[in-house]
Amino acid sequence: MSSLPIASRKDVVLHARVLVRRHRHSLVTMLLLYALAAVAALFGPWILGNLINRATAGHLSNHEVTVTVLELLSASLLYTLLTFFARRKSYILGETVFAELREGFLASILTLPLVAVERAGTGDLLSRTTNDVEAISRTVRFAVPEWLVALVQAGLTLGAMILVSPLVAIAGLVSVPFLYFSTRWYLRYATPGYMRERISYATLSGTVAETVEGSRTIDALQLASRQNDRLDGNIRESFYAEMYTLLMRMNWFPIVETAFSLAVATTLGWGGWLALHHHVSIGAATAVTLYVVQLNDPLDRIIAWLDELQMGAASFARLIGVSVVRDNRPTESAEPLSETITVQDVRYAYREGHDVLHGVTLTIRPGERLAMVGPSGAGKSTLGRLIAGIDAPRSGSVEVGGVPLSSMPLHTLRQHVALVTQEHHIFIGSVSDNLALAKPSASEADIRDALAAVDALEWAEALPEGLATELGSTGYALSPAQAQQLALARLVLTNPHTLVLDEATALLDPRAARHLERSLSAVLTGRTVIAIAHRLHTAHDADRVAVVNEGVVSELGTHDELIALNGEYAALWRSWRNEHTDRS
Amino acid sequence: MTLLTLPYRELPATDIGTPNLSSPLRYLVWLGRKQILILSGAVVFGMGWMLSQALLWAAVGGAIDHGITPRNPTALWHWVEIVLILGIVQGLCGAMRHQLAVANWMTATYRSIQLIGRHITASGTAVIDEIPAGDVVNTVGADVMRIGGAFDVVGRLVGALVSWIVVSIILLSTSLSLGLVVLLGVPLLASLTTPLMKPLHSTQATQREAAGRLAALGADTVAGLRILRGVGGEEVFLANYKEQSNLVRVAGNRIAGPQAALESGQLLLPALLVAVVTFLGARDIVAGRLQPGQLVAFFGYATFLTTPLRTVIEYIISSTRALVGAKKVLRILNATSAVEEPSEALAWPEHITSLHDGLTGVTLHRGQLTALVTETPAEAAEIANRLGRFVGGKNDVRLNDIPLAHFSLADTRRHIVVSEVEPRLFTGDLRSELAPRGAGDDERLITAMAAASALDILDALDQGFDSTVEERGRSFSGGQRQRIALARAYLTEADILILVEPTSAVDSHTESRIASRMLSIRDQRSTLIATTSPLILEKVDVVLVVRDGRVSDQGAHRDLARTNAWYRSVVLREEDE
Repeated sequence: MSSLPIASRKDVVLHARVLVRRHRHSLVTMLLLYALAAVAALFGPWILGNLINRATAGHLSNHEVTVTVLELLSASLLYTLLTFFARRKSYILGETVFAELREGFLASILTLPLVAVERAGTGDLLSRTTNDVEAISRTVRFAVPEWLVALVQAGLTLGAMILVSPLVAIAGLVSVPFLYFSTRWYLRYATPGYMRERISYATLSGTVAETVEGSRTIDALQLASRQNDRLDGNIRESFYAEMYTLLMRMNWFPIVETAFSLAVATTLGWGGWLALHHHVSIGAATAVTLYVVQLNDPLDRIIAWLDELQMGAASFARLIGVSVVRDNRPTESAEPLSETITVQDVRYAYREGHDVLHGVTLTIRPGERLAMVGPSGAGKSTLGRLIAGIDAPRSGSVEVGGVPLSSMPLHTLRQHVALVTQEHHIFIGSVSDNLALAKPSASEADIRDALAAVDALEWAEALPEGLATELGSTGYALSPAQAQQLALARLVLTNPHTLVLDEATALLDPRAARHLERSLSAVLTGRTVIAIAHRLHTAHDADRVAVVNEGVVSELGTHDELIALNGEYAALWRSWRNEHTDRS
Repeated sequence: MTLLTLPYRELPATDIGTPNLSSPLRYLVWLGRKQILILSGAVVFGMGWMLSQALLWAAVGGAIDHGITPRNPTALWHWVEIVLILGIVQGLCGAMRHQLAVANWMTATYRSIQLIGRHITASGTAVIDEIPAGDVVNTVGADVMRIGGAFDVVGRLVGALVSWIVVSIILLSTSLSLGLVVLLGVPLLASLTTPLMKPLHSTQATQREAAGRLAALGADTVAGLRILRGVGGEEVFLANYKEQSNLVRVAGNRIAGPQAALESGQLLLPALLVAVVTFLGARDIVAGRLQPGQLVAFFGYATFLTTPLRTVIEYIISSTRALVGAKKVLRILNATSAVEEPSEALAWPEHITSLHDGLTGVTLHRGQLTALVTETPAEAAEIANRLGRFVGGKNDVRLNDIPLAHFSLADTRRHIVVSEVEPRLFTGDLRSELAPRGAGDDERLITAMAAASALDILDALDQGFDSTVEERGRSFSGGQRQRIALARAYLTEADILILVEPTSAVDSHTESRIASRMLSIRDQRSTLIATTSPLILEKVDVVLVVRDGRVSDQGAHRDLARTNAWYRSVVLREEDE
């Protein structure tokens, strides 16, 4: 399986820039509000500094105290109010950006080319849809705004320090080299550790899901201790992942905190010395010292959010990576001259040098019912996928009326041929929703007709809320046979002239399959059907049977012809019908 | 590269212990007792961390009053040194406090996960019967972490309380009114914050629910993507997703107000305290009762008290969440299986002669390959469940004419293996999947794989038996999973093996190969196969036909096919005309 790409650094920056540009108005308003709030917060130490100056000078009155404290209170009130509006703005902006990102991601998933979807499997996509979207949610809603805010606060506090006394303020910068180098070291080693933590928790939760869903098998086969060991192993991995990042923090935190208190002590000592020698006032020394203490908080947040931002960027790269895969099917193709499908000397390999089809040639006449039988792994399904136009053969050609199927635009292809596999999926939504996806313009009557055609109307109407009953993983659970019937009803709506049924009835209760096939065959009269068969009675009902073995068509003809040939098919048929065979 | 190593005992714990399941609070207390040592450690360093932050202000005040104002450089350096020392103490205590908080978080979280895991595997299908799998996964992913979160805060909480009292005492010793303001103000402010949290909780719950639905919709689209890209309908899906996404966004915007109010409220309330303390302190200066440096210290104390105040609020939030989480954990831990162990288990018989179900009359004899034909697959599964004792209550199932319920469950599971319709595969390498109890030498494994006609699966794997089976075996097709599960069932070498529709997803060629090899791999042991496939039925010793809940006919496939019209209609799919 080839996995989906991850966006390059350049693409990430490009996408981020587009986002910022699109929301620059909200972003600027938000930052402005935060800046005003930060300015309001800076009043406190300044007011206190003035108070101290007057107190040491000995002319402080009760009236002045009252006025000063009222000023302090108004500043706090203003600070609170501005923070409220700024926060609200930033949460709403975060929600908006996050919604845009997840919707854009889903849109790009839905335009992934069929081959990429088939090859990548659902695991990678699912983890991007759940884990990475979740990670982005934290980054966009919390990390980015908090970080920007801290940046604004730190900048303004620094500005205030310089405004009060640039001479004292210099001492506050003593912490900067410590912070810079230790943080750089920390980020380099800690970020992969946090990634490992996340993966370990995803694995842990996967094991729990597997354990609870498979509890019957665990009970029946006495797998309890193995499953417990596995869970313990996952916990141990999580523990070591946690321990690693903890160790990183244990090296980093003390340096950061010591740097902070070094800054406070240095400012106090330097400011005090300057005050002693009348270079600055005691009030100025006090205010700058208080600012240095206040500066610790935004500085702390600036560096604390950095790893979250790094991880968010990684998830972002995985999300937009999906949009890099483009469908290279042409948007137009020639109109097929007929409905005849021709397979000409087709070879195909999943891995280079390992052909699974070794030159298959086959002509399928319009309206014909062709059954393909043969052992597992003989190449039946691969041939089916090529006939359905999902992929192109390595050499040779698969054409309908002279037009290569793999070169048709998807919406055109769907009108000609459809592939039905044993994989069926009921989407979250009503019965009608589940059918209408095949033909959004379908009326209620069309949907009923399609259900009736596959013999599903009766049970569908008997559901708790009839055709409006919510189905899927969060709704009413259908039996596999019912799910398969819905899948077939979708095809009735799509109405292609050729159908490739890849073991579509395999998972059905054998007692129901024949019944379903009969009702389906009534509907599909006049359509070309290529049935990759599982059960031999399907072959019996077909116009022609192709036995696929080891990548070639080894026998081809009507049921009676093949029985007369007395080859592999004949032997199998006899065994199925419980007649005497000379086969052991 | 690393400067420090951490002296912690490796987790997970080996002594999990027996929890108190009578109430969420008792469960949390039990967890706390199990980690009392690291909890106490967190408390000690939490106090050191908070106190050094508070006392920093006394030192700053001292530097002003004894160094700067009287113009005494020696005293100034002296106090600056103290500031630096307190800073270093704070840094070290903070680091210790942090690592003990993480240790407490992990210990409580992992222990709960272990308890849940152990309980699921020890109680049959009790948990999944009662609680949806998604809820269990959510409990482990979120609720258990919230329990850990409450233990994380404990050290800081005690530190907050102690530093609040110490600051109050310092203030009381200089000014009664100032001391009382701080002593009473902090709890008052903490209680004022609580009303701000209420509207937030309900809007958050709404948003979480909407977000959960959206996540399910996203996962659902990905799971059905092949089908969607095959038959179309992408536009409809994108529109649905956008609609739900918009609901989540609107719900999120509704949180923005209360969330911002709580956060700005947490700024305003301590600011009030700072204002009152500054006011009272400054008036004391005017009255000559206080030095300017002391006022700076008081201002600092009041600012510092924001941290303890926030910690108390955080604790209220996290302990509420932990209680809710514990309730969900207990729901899982209290799910019990209906299948009970006998009070006194009999020894398992040396030879099994028969296994008999009194209700349906289905009997398995020693060494026989028996097939079971029923009207519906559900009926066959039910009989298999009774014979394997997967259902509770009184069941008339007898082994060698002794009620099966008299034997221990462990013995029963070891000797009677039931492979259900869709057996699960688990993550791990193929070898341990096939032979979970070890003893999987390649020869045995290959024999079993051959009997299940599954050697082609093995050939296609790059690393043979060491290849990884992905979660739930999803890298294999349905037919491949079924054949691997069949090989796994054979490898148990159980005295009695009950297979329910073991070949429903494999093609006729393969099915016929499996049928012909069944007899030799199950040599001398008893096997019951519920199936309607003639390819298998013609190879078994005897076919039991269950109609209307009882064995109505039995014999060889060929005879039944000739004499029994109902049988013919089920197995050969002929019309009853």
